[in-house]
Amino acid sequence: MLEIDRLCVNYGRVRALDEVSLEIGGEGVLHGVIGPNGAGKSTLLDAVSGRRRPTQGAIRYCGQDITGKSVAWRRHRGMARSFQRTSIFPDLTVDEQLRLVAWRLGDDRLDEIIQALDLTDYLREPAGRIAYGVQRRVDVALALIGRPQLLLMDEPGAGLSAEETLHLFQHVRALVAERRIAAVIVEHDVDAVFSCCDVVTVLDLGRRLATGNPAEIRADARVVEAYLGSAA
Amino acid sequence: MSGGAASPVAVRYSAVGAPLAALAATALFVVGAVAPIYAASEFTLRIGNQGLLLGMLALSVAFLMNQAGLVALGAASVYGGAGYLFAIGINNWDLSATQALLAAFVILVVYAAALGALIIRTNPLAFMMLTLAAGEMISHSVMLEGLRDYTSGADGLVVAFKGSILGLQAADFANPVHFWPLAWTATWISGLTIRAVRRSRLGAVLRAVRQNEERMRFSGFDTYAPRLMGFVLINAVAAVAGLLHVLNAGFVSPDSLGLSLSTNALVSALIGGVASAAGPIVGGLIFAFAQDEFGAYGVTQLLTGVAIVVFIVLFSKGVVGGLTSAARHLRRPSDPKGGAR
Amino acid sequence: MIALLVANSLALASLLIMLSSGLALIYGLRDVINFGHGALYMLGAYLGYSLTLVGGFWLALLIAPILLALLGVALEYLVLRPLQARSHIEVALVTLGLGIILGQILIFVYGGEARSIDAPAGLSGSVVVFGLSYPVYRIFLIAMGLGSCAGLALWLRYTTSGLHVRAVSQDPSVARMMGINADRLSLLVTVLSAGFAGVAGVLAGPYLSVDPGMDVTMIVDCLIIVVIGGTGSIGGAIVAALLFGFVQVAGSVFLPDLAALAPYVLLMAVLLITPRGIGRGRAPA
Repeated sequence: MLEIDRLCVNYGRVRALDEVSLEIGGEGVLHGVIGPNGAGKSTLLDAVSGRRRPTQGAIRYCGQDITGKSVAWRRHRGMARSFQRTSIFPDLTVDEQLRLVAWRLGDDRLDEIIQALDLTDYLREPAGRIAYGVQRRVDVALALIGRPQLLLMDEPGAGLSAEETLHLFQHVRALVAERRIAAVIVEHDVDAVFSCCDVVTVLDLGRRLATGNPAEIRADARVVEAYLGSAA
Repeated sequence: MSGGAASPVAVRYSAVGAPLAALAATALFVVGAVAPIYAASEFTLRIGNQGLLLGMLALSVAFLMNQAGLVALGAASVYGGAGYLFAIGINNWDLSATQALLAAFVILVVYAAALGALIIRTNPLAFMMLTLAAGEMISHSVMLEGLRDYTSGADGLVVAFKGSILGLQAADFANPVHFWPLAWTATWISGLTIRAVRRSRLGAVLRAVRQNEERMRFSGFDTYAPRLMGFVLINAVAAVAGLLHVLNAGFVSPDSLGLSLSTNALVSALIGGVASAAGPIVGGLIFAFAQDEFGAYGVTQLLTGVAIVVFIVLFSKGVVGGLTSAARHLRRPSDPKGGAR
Repeated sequence: MIALLVANSLALASLLIMLSSGLALIYGLRDVINFGHGALYMLGAYLGYSLTLVGGFWLALLIAPILLALLGVALEYLVLRPLQARSHIEVALVTLGLGIILGQILIFVYGGEARSIDAPAGLSGSVVVFGLSYPVYRIFLIAMGLGSCAGLALWLRYTTSGLHVRAVSQDPSVARMMGINADRLSLLVTVLSAGFAGVAGVLAGPYLSVDPGMDVTMIVDCLIIVVIGGTGSIGGAIVAALLFGFVQVAGSVFLPDLAALAPYVLLMAVLLITPRGIGRGRAPA
């Protein structure tokens, strides 16, 4: 579904992504992306979602080159993302913002999302006033509206406890399986990724180090050396 | 100052009270159009007319500021520009009065669309400075020697038209007593239009874009078109106000275009309250009467500064917002949300 | 001819750099535009005028900035901090209101006519530089401008507080996460900003004149510079100030009728080319 072809992203003189090639396929597959700080994980998502223009390389979505397409265009073709730094509408109630986006994307099955992410109790609250963990769920909910085919999640567990992160991952995993969405999750919390993801890609210093199932990655010496060794 | 949407509770309430409110509003409209003609002196009406037109200008500034988070500092340039274009139409292009009105309006709407198309994409501060720049450029071009034949430079232009517009003669427009119902009606139409837009999807989208423009794009919205529409709308309102002004005053000068008028409109909006359609209008009236009361320019300026500070720090909802809020508290003391739309 | 143009541009730019960098610093740190900045400058100029009458130019140059720095403290504690929770537009408007009030007070105290101040004895007259006869005072002004530029650059680059200011300007939330004390920084920046407005005000006296409209003119100019320079970019503001100074001076020489419009044309031109401004300021959110 998603083909990343020798993608390079430069911030000035810094090479955040260096010739990264990757294939994301498979509906219902959770693809985790991990790596040490500065590995380029968020940049990868930014490039794929259209937030940042790649310096070189191409991105193909369902066979079509989308490298120059706008963010809104991608959203209408089924590519959605959630954000590392919670990006919601603080003065709108949870209900209002979900409905607004649902109107735009033509989705009438909001209740499923609300229930799946446990937001029923917070619908009437202005989003700026609810607990941080709930805000993260709203951030994800906004991305799930409109039946996306490809879900990109940027550190969904940012600022959450290990337990909350795992919980959120499980919510997402259930939804993804049920709706046959392909999901790419950039995450710091390695344990959550290993326990919930089907495929894992490791980035280091802007390059793709390895891709495989969790067991393979755990055992990969290069990965251990670059990343897990220091954390373990 | 955030433009919040009505809570579900308020929606339920208005479903019950809506016909009553509509009736009250109609009564207010009729009484307001007629009563001052008999009750108020010609002088008072003159100020009232100024207040209404200033209120319309304030309404345009307030709407964009409150809903889209954008401060359009060039509002007065459209207001005054309308007057100049009308004058040029009559004096230089030999148009009939009605033709001149329409021409001026159309030119300004096109101008607003073109300017907006260029500047909407920038950040709010840049936007504000660009509207200021555009406004100042217009102010300055009016003073250019080369255009003296059209604009009379600093002297200003006297505008007298022959014939009639909608059956009214020039003298009718100049007469404060005859002009008041006209200004009142125009104000109500503008106010109701703005109110309708606030409650529409466009209003909701503008408010959401104000809060998080990026997420709106990531949710599939075009964030450019709605803001452009809002910008054109408010400039249309300002243009109408400006045309009414020139019809009434029979005169247009660089003062009608200047930055101080834009500032007065802004202050009027703050005084009345930016979160409603009625607020800026009320603010305009208050400002006009206060300005008459306090006469000397220096004092007015000082009070303008004081008003800005007071009405943001202490009375941030403005007069109308404060009254609405108080009324809501009386009706339902436990309602935590005071925000009007 | 070109040399004269360049020199005059530098002189004007020196003043503009002092003022707009102060505005840019507060904007970068707090995302708030201090609309009263022009009024602070005007206060500095009028105080400079009075102090010069009492104790001479050099005394004015010393005392006025200190007085303004104290006012900066008041601005920080009485306005910027209490209103922190409000939207940026609201805080900016409050500074506008306060600026208007300050301006009116000055007009009330000093009257509405322009005042002129002579350059101090040591800096009066002209000197021959590169075959040109050029006013000594303007050379002094340029020197002050370069000095403050250098000082600013050194501070931002080599001190801890300077580093923190740059960090917070680039990315406020991350900087806060890393424990940078934004409050103390903010006080420092506001005081510096006000102090420099004072210096600029005193320096402006013998160079331009001291008149009631100077606050409005200056705040508009500084705003244009800050916008052209890009959010949170001090370097951008400095470059923009140089550009602005040149355009302003060249405009008044070659197209005197349209010179007043030059800044606005510059603003539009730059923003059409680079919508985010010159500097590499804040990263897109």
